[in-house]
Amino acid sequence: MDVKDLKVLIKMITETDITEFEMENADEKIVLKRGPRGELVAMAAPASYIASPQTVHMPSFPPAAHSAAPSAPAADEESGETVNSPIVGTFYRAPAPDAAPYVEAGQVVEKGQVLCIVEAMKLMNEIEAEFRCRIVKVCKENAQAVEFGDPLFLVERV
Amino acid sequence: MPRIGGKILPLFRGRSGFVSGEEISRELNVSRTAVWKHINRLRTEGYVIDAIPSQGYRLVSNPDIMSAEEIAAETGAKNVIGSKIVCLGETGSTNAEAFRMAAEGEAHGTVVFAESQLNGKGRLGRRWESPPGANIYCSVILRPDIMPHEAPQLTFVSAVAVARAIRISTSLAPSIKWPNDIMLQGRKVAGLLNEMSAETDRINFVILGIGVNVNMTGEQFPPDIRYPATSLFLEHGDRLSRNDFAAVMLKELDQLYCGFVADGFAPARMEWQSLCNANGRAVTVSDSGREVVSGMFAGIDDDGAMLVRRGGSDIVRILTGDVRIS
Repeated sequence: MDVKDLKVLIKMITETDITEFEMENADEKIVLKRGPRGELVAMAAPASYIASPQTVHMPSFPPAAHSAAPSAPAADEESGETVNSPIVGTFYRAPAPDAAPYVEAGQVVEKGQVLCIVEAMKLMNEIEAEFRCRIVKVCKENAQAVEFGDPLFLVERV
Repeated sequence: MPRIGGKILPLFRGRSGFVSGEEISRELNVSRTAVWKHINRLRTEGYVIDAIPSQGYRLVSNPDIMSAEEIAAETGAKNVIGSKIVCLGETGSTNAEAFRMAAEGEAHGTVVFAESQLNGKGRLGRRWESPPGANIYCSVILRPDIMPHEAPQLTFVSAVAVARAIRISTSLAPSIKWPNDIMLQGRKVAGLLNEMSAETDRINFVILGIGVNVNMTGEQFPPDIRYPATSLFLEHGDRLSRNDFAAVMLKELDQLYCGFVADGFAPARMEWQSLCNANGRAVTVSDSGREVVSGMFAGIDDDGAMLVRRGGSDIVRILTGDVRIS
């Protein structure tokens, strides 16, 4: 999909109440998300097509159908993004007990970089950064139990 | 040259005598010369094939190497699991390889085998002993249409599949130690480790890692191994064809996985429960070296979490850890 089509698609979606839109075909995958915390437009293609998927942080698109657009996100909310656990399990900061942690507070990580493992029933889930960010805080202790949706890291986009 | 060697091999199955070159050429619709070329190619792969001019060809022995064609010939073309089979020689770890392939778009159902692993891995960076030519080192790529929090159920699906494959191939009666260690006479014969790539609300893919000690001999186990371990050969007394075992295992996994997709977790969960080695027993769970809980085993819940009854009605839910049966 070229930029023109993408613009049309974004316009169509912002004219509705849809907050999340996902489309996938053989060549590309398009994910559009919008909400009070700021809009994120991500467009990814298989590795064979583009080496690294692009993530574009878009300015707010006030929904045309609503006279009262959501207010612009406050700066502290913007820096208060968290990486949450997709499953119930045990949080591990390192690949092995005697290994160095994947990340430390203060560190800047790249999109796709592994942040931690959450394990449940011998299923190891490597949690990756969904965007380039700085780790503001590690929210859980190593080997601590975490619930579905629990914040694991406080991060700040960079 | 197209890979028709895999189509010749089934013609030898179930026969001790010769198959004529004419029959092969007719069945596969290729010339007698092409048959000869393919037979020679199979020989270079380690198949021992007799050829007698007036009688034809006879398969004397299979090579002891993992063969995608041999496995596929048994699993059937319609199965989801094993729709594509890749056999590697030496690799780092089949899970790492399958993970990399899946990240690059490899299809649902593709299975990766290896002859040996340099970095065969277990839970928390532990090592899985992976000598060449002896065992099954296998990883299955799945793209299940379920939520990430349901994915741990697949741990039990694959554990039951491996237990079934052992029972079918050897008549031995394996049990399962929570969540997915496959045991024979209290010794671990197979270890399973699964990995997932997921976003908050969707699974990109799941890798089911399966290591089965098939023909491993006593000397091949390291002296400092964490658990008592064994192999099918040590328990059964005969060497098994790894390709045959792999085919049985993939067939069982396919059936269980399709059942899981159609009917949910309940059937696999019930079968897992019947095979569990902790029924009616006291268990101690430890994690990262410290004891978490001791009590009576009280089954698994809908997520697959182990329930341990401590004292009267106090139930502790366990998601990770090493279980010891008291």
